[in-house]
Amino acid sequence: MRDTKMQPEAPWDLIIEPSHNLFELRLKELYQYRELIGLLIRRDFVATYKQTIMGPLWFFIQPIMTSVMFMFVFGNIAKLGTDGIPQPMFYYSGTILWTYFAHGLTQNANTFNANGQLFGKIYFPRMAVPISYWAMEVITLLIQFSLLLVFYFYYLATGFSFHTNWWILVVPLLILQLGALGVGLGIIISSWTTKYRDLKQLLTFGMQFWMYCTPIVYPMSKVPQKWLWVYEINPVAPIIEMFRYSFLGSGSLPLGSWLISLAVSSIILFLGIVIFNRNERTFIDFL
Amino acid sequence: MSVVIRVEGISKEYRYGAINNTRLYRDMQSWWAQVRGKEDPWTEIGKESTFGRKDRFWALKNVNFEVNAGERLAIMGANGAGKSTLLKIMSRITAPTEGRIKIRGRVASLLEVGTGFHPELTGRENIYLNGAILGMKKVEITKKLDEIVAFSELEEFIDTPVKRFSSGMYVRLAFAVAANLDSEILIADEVLAVGDAKFQRKCLGKMHDVSEKQGRTVLFVSHNSEAVLNLCNRGIILDHGVENYIASDIKDVVARYNDMTKDQ
Repeated sequence: MRDTKMQPEAPWDLIIEPSHNLFELRLKELYQYRELIGLLIRRDFVATYKQTIMGPLWFFIQPIMTSVMFMFVFGNIAKLGTDGIPQPMFYYSGTILWTYFAHGLTQNANTFNANGQLFGKIYFPRMAVPISYWAMEVITLLIQFSLLLVFYFYYLATGFSFHTNWWILVVPLLILQLGALGVGLGIIISSWTTKYRDLKQLLTFGMQFWMYCTPIVYPMSKVPQKWLWVYEINPVAPIIEMFRYSFLGSGSLPLGSWLISLAVSSIILFLGIVIFNRNERTFIDFL
Repeated sequence: MSVVIRVEGISKEYRYGAINNTRLYRDMQSWWAQVRGKEDPWTEIGKESTFGRKDRFWALKNVNFEVNAGERLAIMGANGAGKSTLLKIMSRITAPTEGRIKIRGRVASLLEVGTGFHPELTGRENIYLNGAILGMKKVEITKKLDEIVAFSELEEFIDTPVKRFSSGMYVRLAFAVAANLDSEILIADEVLAVGDAKFQRKCLGKMHDVSEKQGRTVLFVSHNSEAVLNLCNRGIILDHGVENYIASDIKDVVARYNDMTKDQ
């Protein structure tokens, strides 16, 4: 059946082969589908808040409720302290940063299961889904961040002085780093959740455990010496510390462990992309 | 005539049966039992353990054919002949195990209509979402919006969330989006199994039209001899993953297919 009378023709637009380069990002193709990414973000956004009474107010209600709970339990009952930062700001900033990280991770860990229906019927660059998830989380974080600024200026006006310093310039990098870590880990886990459904349950517990191993509801200064190694190996801890140090001026500058965490986050994102590339073409056979 | 699709030695291998016990702890127990030489606790009594076994079969084996621009190729075959697998590979949903497919032009595949619709979004919003999933630009969709809505005959309902649509309305809207997309190649798999007879005829007519008037290539998978005879001008029959027959006279193909299925 092979064509013997080959004449010079236009080049092929697409060649489908058993495997492709794992390190390829195919950014050009993703760029062509940028409108799809926008629509996926919009879809998640609209679908979440349609037919709810409070609508987009939920962006604030969730972290506020969590912070109030933390204030009550960890601030007033356990008296874990906040390194002198006003309690609402301490818990609220921790909550929104952690949620940003944790959502990025758990949503991406479930990418293939949640979108199996869609992926099984139609082709588009699969990477559009993790990207839209992540973008949605960034938007959420930025919206929630505005309330933190309101708190900040309120406390400034009441005479509280924050030791905000020039390290605040790395905050955007911190957000990227935290996102890379969450999305990367989520993608790595997603390659197993397609085969093993019980990982999802394990993940819920794992994330809770991880949160308590991260200085979210307590400051680093309250951690006993013998447990400090936990924070050395936890790449999220230095990111949170770094944020508190630069923005709220509390704690100390964790420069060394932060740089290690930056390297770890990059490696994890890179691994995640490689694994995603390997999986996206055949995972559908395992669902 | 120019070749727009060249399928070269495509094969796809699948594993038999369950891939694993679907729970990690069960696989661990199976593995632990295997290590100790004990019986697999997750195997049915009296059966052999399937854990770690690598039973495989070929859903497609060395399929080769070419499609020219503007052709309407029917892909026929009994259930399990490998038709859907072939289309899934062509639409890049799963990767082939061996072989290559070369394609010229944009492919729109209608493996199942209405995928990618979000129930909470309105018909109009879903047209944009579905169009984007199929690779259309926003301006293209806006330009074709009236045409799409008119084809679907859903003018009054277009701003209603699609979760309130009947399944027939759902399918009409989805087909309208895909059929109005400017792709050079349209792949359709049993899409006409849904929708009433009138709409089925309309869809077939539309596919015929896009091929005749716009020179688009159509790949159509169906069991329905009548629909195939009406639409296609060439056909291929798959039998147990192997290409069994290919002919440029669609009547021959359908006759042969009817013979094949009669014997069984």
